[in-house]
Amino acid sequence: MELSKVRNIGISAHIDSGKTTLTERILFYTQRIHKIHEVKGKDQVGATMDFMELERERGITIQSAATYCEWSGHHINIIDTPGHVDFTIEVERSLRVLDGAILVLCGVAGVQSQSMTVDRQMRRYKVPRLAFINKLDRSGANPRRVVEGLREKLKHNAVLIQLPIGLEADFRGIVDLVLMKAFRFEGDNGEHIIEEEIPANMADEAAAAREEMLDAVSMYSDELTEAILEERVTEELIRDAIRRGAIGLGLTPVFLGSAYKNKGVQLLLNAVTMYLPSPTDVENMGVDLSNNEAPIVISADPNKPLVALAFKLEDGRYGQLTYVRVYQGTLAKGTTITNMRTQRRHKVGRLVRMHANDMEDIESAEGGDIVALFGIECATGDTFTDGSIDVAMSGMHVPDPVISLSIKAKDNKVQANLGKALGRFVREDPTFRSHVDQESGETIISGMGELHLEVYVERMKREYGVEVITGAPQVAYRETISQRAEFNYTHRKQTGGSGQYAKIGGYIEPITDGSANFEFVDEVRGGSVPIEFIPSVEKGMRTMIPKGRLIGFPVINLRVVLNDGAAHSVDSSDNAFQAAARGAFRTVYPQARPIVLEPIMKLGVEGPIDFQGAIIKTIMQRRGVIIGTTEQEGFCQIDAEVPFADMFGYATDLRSNTQGKAEFTMEFAKYAPAPNDVKEKLVEKFSGRVKGEDDE
Amino acid sequence: MYRKYLTARSPLRVLEKGLHGGLGKGNLGLVLAGPGVGKSSFLVGVALDDLLRGDRVLHVVLDQTVAHTRAHYDTVFADLRATTQLEDGAVVHGELEQLRAIRALPAAGFGVSKLREAVLLGETTGGKPSAVIVEGWDVARASAADLEALRKLATEIPAEIWVSASAPTERIPSLPSDLVAARDQFAVILALEPENGGVALRALKDHENPNPEALRVALDPKTLLLKRS
Repeated sequence: MELSKVRNIGISAHIDSGKTTLTERILFYTQRIHKIHEVKGKDQVGATMDFMELERERGITIQSAATYCEWSGHHINIIDTPGHVDFTIEVERSLRVLDGAILVLCGVAGVQSQSMTVDRQMRRYKVPRLAFINKLDRSGANPRRVVEGLREKLKHNAVLIQLPIGLEADFRGIVDLVLMKAFRFEGDNGEHIIEEEIPANMADEAAAAREEMLDAVSMYSDELTEAILEERVTEELIRDAIRRGAIGLGLTPVFLGSAYKNKGVQLLLNAVTMYLPSPTDVENMGVDLSNNEAPIVISADPNKPLVALAFKLEDGRYGQLTYVRVYQGTLAKGTTITNMRTQRRHKVGRLVRMHANDMEDIESAEGGDIVALFGIECATGDTFTDGSIDVAMSGMHVPDPVISLSIKAKDNKVQANLGKALGRFVREDPTFRSHVDQESGETIISGMGELHLEVYVERMKREYGVEVITGAPQVAYRETISQRAEFNYTHRKQTGGSGQYAKIGGYIEPITDGSANFEFVDEVRGGSVPIEFIPSVEKGMRTMIPKGRLIGFPVINLRVVLNDGAAHSVDSSDNAFQAAARGAFRTVYPQARPIVLEPIMKLGVEGPIDFQGAIIKTIMQRRGVIIGTTEQEGFCQIDAEVPFADMFGYATDLRSNTQGKAEFTMEFAKYAPAPNDVKEKLVEKFSGRVKGEDDE
Repeated sequence: MYRKYLTARSPLRVLEKGLHGGLGKGNLGLVLAGPGVGKSSFLVGVALDDLLRGDRVLHVVLDQTVAHTRAHYDTVFADLRATTQLEDGAVVHGELEQLRAIRALPAAGFGVSKLREAVLLGETTGGKPSAVIVEGWDVARASAADLEALRKLATEIPAEIWVSASAPTERIPSLPSDLVAARDQFAVILALEPENGGVALRALKDHENPNPEALRVALDPKTLLLKRS
């Protein structure tokens, strides 16, 4: 397959704007599937891309599945991306491997707040995009208004490449402003495309819209500008200009249709092949591991050494399935590849191309392709090479979890399955973590939001048969110190047998530039602490970090400096120095003025301007800080920062205060010192639990 | 509250009473500059002066995003924090954000009545601002009635209100002709001019000071704070 004919695209959008339906149609028209199933369909089958049972039931896409199809000689890999904000890590991971995307917008609701989040993510990864305004058959559909939204809210240079013929129940077809032809879609599933002349009553409107379009796209091509002046505009010149504008991220061409009513999808596929970049059009950057992670260009040349990125893991019926994007070189069956993180070598036993949950065995894949490997142990984000180069793809942005939940299997017999489920989820999703609390023995899971964890609890039940009892959601607080404090501690025990002796001195201080969560500095001079015991001190200190002395949460931004001490030739040991470190920490920590840090979320609420005051109140009541408000055509967007601890049940609160007309997005922003009342409550709760723990 | 840190670099030290009073509540201030010289940076510096004193600021921007304006504050604040060795920078930053409200409005249809609405909304959710910054509204094009209404609003709140106007050229020897009529409405008029790779700030009017031209300082071209000495 020629690389210039490959497209790696994503379909990204707000929940309910119909992207799963759109994907389903694309797969149907490209003959990857032979029957259309609707989301929440009456036939109880569900759309092909939503292959997990849970997704079928809820009618939403949670995990992005990679699939591919062919359209007019082009090879298109599609990553279906979830629309809910709790799963943005999935979106971000998908975006990392895409060369282009279709931004699906609802023709009625237009640019919603989730579209903004997704759009920001696409901008971060410099993904060129086309917009598809869907649902033009719905009452209230208004593509022009949606285009305005794209321009004003998302600051896209959005340009209509098509016009609708009729709207709402009357939506019949599409006028293509490049060809100046009309298209209708007939047959049971819209598979017959009828090309005809533009209806006479639309001729003027179409001519005006074409002029507007040419005006906008000629910015990206001098040849087109000249041709316009000389009145010799050709289809190729326009297409070339649109393509340049789109790939350079300067232009967002806008296409129209109704996936549900089988209208406009084939033209959108044409647009994907014409206007979105092939892997050779995009420059991908990796990092040179042997040169201080300096950025280097990765080229899609199949003859160069292999570079591939694992961007998604799944446990399937046949073991672990690893989705990879090949960036450079060739990945072939039977060859050996090296995981750059672990330096382990793996043999490529089976290589497949994925189509939802069916697959097709292949022999090799080249730079630019997206395929899946079997039975390769790795984590999401790992880079594979052929072992001859020291390169990795740059890391992906992984946010910290903000919420935890204790879980317990209802039935002890399924404990092993619970472990399996957790192990798999943690490997698949870097924002999902799990650990066992040493004190309570409870299993704790943490993630990005209430719904995020809820989905995993459901999956444990469905996929592993593990029903769990969950505890109350717990905010991921942190502790840190606010000033330097010195320690000078002697650990001495003489209770028969050999004694224990260790003495250490130094200080702890806050790390203010956020460069590390914990740092141990050895400044011991003259061997007052024997060199073999210095790691023991660090180890002892480290054991105190996961559970702070103030409220029992991990301590961050802490530097420990060891600069003095003493040892005894017989009684000093690894254990004695570890114990001394723990003792020193316990004594010095309270003197360093420990404080509580709480996760602060970035909140964006959008709603009609009449509710501006009401929305602001819902935020103020939750200790929020309003960063700013933006007014535009009857709508307002309110940006705020709010402590996550106060955001439980916000969806309900917002709905009831705005008659359900406002919506919000939320993502982790930073850790900030918690106010005193919050701190005191947490301290009180914690001190009730830790009586008599200090045994040494 | 953190006054001592800012006064070290506040551009308002150009005013005769800059260290104790500045523009003053109930008054209008005007900053003039050619395109791209840094009117908005200057206004951010003025707002920070109030915020660090613990006063509320309402910052209205026209046809501009909240994120852009906030980033502007963050840049200037970061520079200030670095040069004045402000301790607890993160805490101070958090406090400033609580005192500051940014409102982004469309330029079309903006006027004093819109500004009044913005002040009222701020009052119900936080409190009255001590200073109001209006960015992107060219007062050279505002009517006499508009300016009169603006001055009334300043007295009513009461707050100091800062606005800006584009000067036709980089050099501003005197008040441009289209603003002469408005001169009396403003208590303070300042001009920004590029100079030796930096920016010079000059007073064209400073309350009742008969000799404002004597007031002149050099500003850092990036942050429009006083140059580090």
